[in-house]
Amino acid sequence: MSLTTTSLVETVKNQYFYKLKANIDSFSSLVGIQSLAMLFSLGGVGSSGFSGGDISVNIKYYSSDMIFVFTMIWAFITAITITTKPYRNYDFTFVTNRLSSSLANVLFLGSAGLLGAITSVLSGNLLQIISALFMDEQLYHLSGGSSHYILGILTTFFYLFLISSIGYFIGTLVQISKVFVVIIPVLFIGTLFFQAFSLKEKEPFFWNMIQFYTTETTVSLFILKAVLTTVAFFTLATSVLNRLEVKR
Amino acid sequence: MKVIECSELTKSYNRKKVLNQLSFSIEENTITGLVGRNGAGKTTLLKIIAGYIKNTSGEVRVFSERSFNSLNVSGNSIFVDDQMSFPPALQLGELLGEAKRFYPNYDANLAKRLFDYFGFDEKAYHNRLSKGKTSTFNMIIGLASRCPLTIFDEPTTGMDEAVRKDFYRALLKDYIAHPRTIIISSHHVDEVEDILEDVLLINKGSKLLHLPIAEVKEWACGIKGNSETVLKLINNKEVLYQKEVGMNTLYAVVRKDSSGSGSIEEQAQLAGLEVTAVRSSDLFVHLTTEAKSKGGIDDVFNNY
Repeated sequence: MSLTTTSLVETVKNQYFYKLKANIDSFSSLVGIQSLAMLFSLGGVGSSGFSGGDISVNIKYYSSDMIFVFTMIWAFITAITITTKPYRNYDFTFVTNRLSSSLANVLFLGSAGLLGAITSVLSGNLLQIISALFMDEQLYHLSGGSSHYILGILTTFFYLFLISSIGYFIGTLVQISKVFVVIIPVLFIGTLFFQAFSLKEKEPFFWNMIQFYTTETTVSLFILKAVLTTVAFFTLATSVLNRLEVKR
Repeated sequence: MKVIECSELTKSYNRKKVLNQLSFSIEENTITGLVGRNGAGKTTLLKIIAGYIKNTSGEVRVFSERSFNSLNVSGNSIFVDDQMSFPPALQLGELLGEAKRFYPNYDANLAKRLFDYFGFDEKAYHNRLSKGKTSTFNMIIGLASRCPLTIFDEPTTGMDEAVRKDFYRALLKDYIAHPRTIIISSHHVDEVEDILEDVLLINKGSKLLHLPIAEVKEWACGIKGNSETVLKLINNKEVLYQKEVGMNTLYAVVRKDSSGSGSIEEQAQLAGLEVTAVRSSDLFVHLTTEAKSKGGIDDVFNNY
């Protein structure tokens, strides 16, 4: 039997399509979690009202905010899931090395993030239609046209990708040592309060970190920040996974 | 060409050495049987060759490359055992499709014919197969992938007699049509020895023998007869096993050596003793039994 040279690009491509099929369950859980979030959003995600004289106005906001948050949790969990032992072992049944496996994982999480972004942005429309059709509310739709959607999908995608890179990194740490199952929540809760009680008028450290991304108003700068962080987390995770043995 | 070269290969888990200074090489297009007792390090060795785990020290070269993290080694080899993990979301038919996607030499036609012969359902799921069926399916993937290096670790676990025979026959037929390097680890030496060319016997992580199977059969002989005569004859010979088999009758397995005056068989025959060939499987058991338990499991019950 003659030897064949295996190319990295070809292997990553094969692994990617293999993963799309193997991880089909994560897409069905996306449908599930977004339906659930939709159900919670049916009462409106926010409301305000005022009245004066004979007039009383009550405004309810129907948006995909809650769906977005749920989708972020889904992206985080999906990323952790694919770092677990059975999922890594599926790759090694066929052709792979650790690098191609990680690259295919990144591509998979990217695709999952894109799908999550498109569905969560568009689900806002579905929510508004449902409320208009079935709840007998007067609908005032605010939209900036297709560019509004593209921008929404783009930023949602980068948020999801960022979250999944963090999930992937945390999942990887847990794979090296179960100690991280304790350390990571401790660190997380710790940072929530870190600097929060200091005498100087400072925002909590964790809040600052989130604001670093969320308060960025220039799209290109936000994308730059998100991409750099994502790349950093994926690179760290890949270099750690690169030394992990296949045990089953 | 040498497909696998190991030199002073050592693997330890928590300072316990599972493989100890193992050196051997395997030629291209041969079928090698890897035999050894439970816990001898067979699976560990095979996993290192497949690039699944990393050796602690020493060197292992597969297709002249280090196997750990090598894409070429992964692309040209397949590791088949009953623990092969497949995504539960995919049906058996789809799994065959995935194997075709990954392995360039994959023979879809052969896979399909074996799949139908063994009565698999394309819509079934791998994690719901019985033990024997799991092994059979994995074997189909292993054979049809036609990898230049095919590793079977205990491939017949759970298979019934008929399927085991079919498997060995299929393996041999496909090997003759498409020669490649095959390593089979097995406890059932009697079953596999007909298809093996070489045997690598390891014990406690070290190599005991690496010989063509024909030489293994000539490696030792059994001598039976009057205890005194036998004992006199086997004195200062390498005795692998001895056992009382009746009143004043002793059976001993002795390593043949051509040095000295005539072969041991001739001497035994001259002394009027019965000389028998030793089955390979028995020889391996004798070789790997510890000196302190030469009497076998009987000793456990005799002395308490």
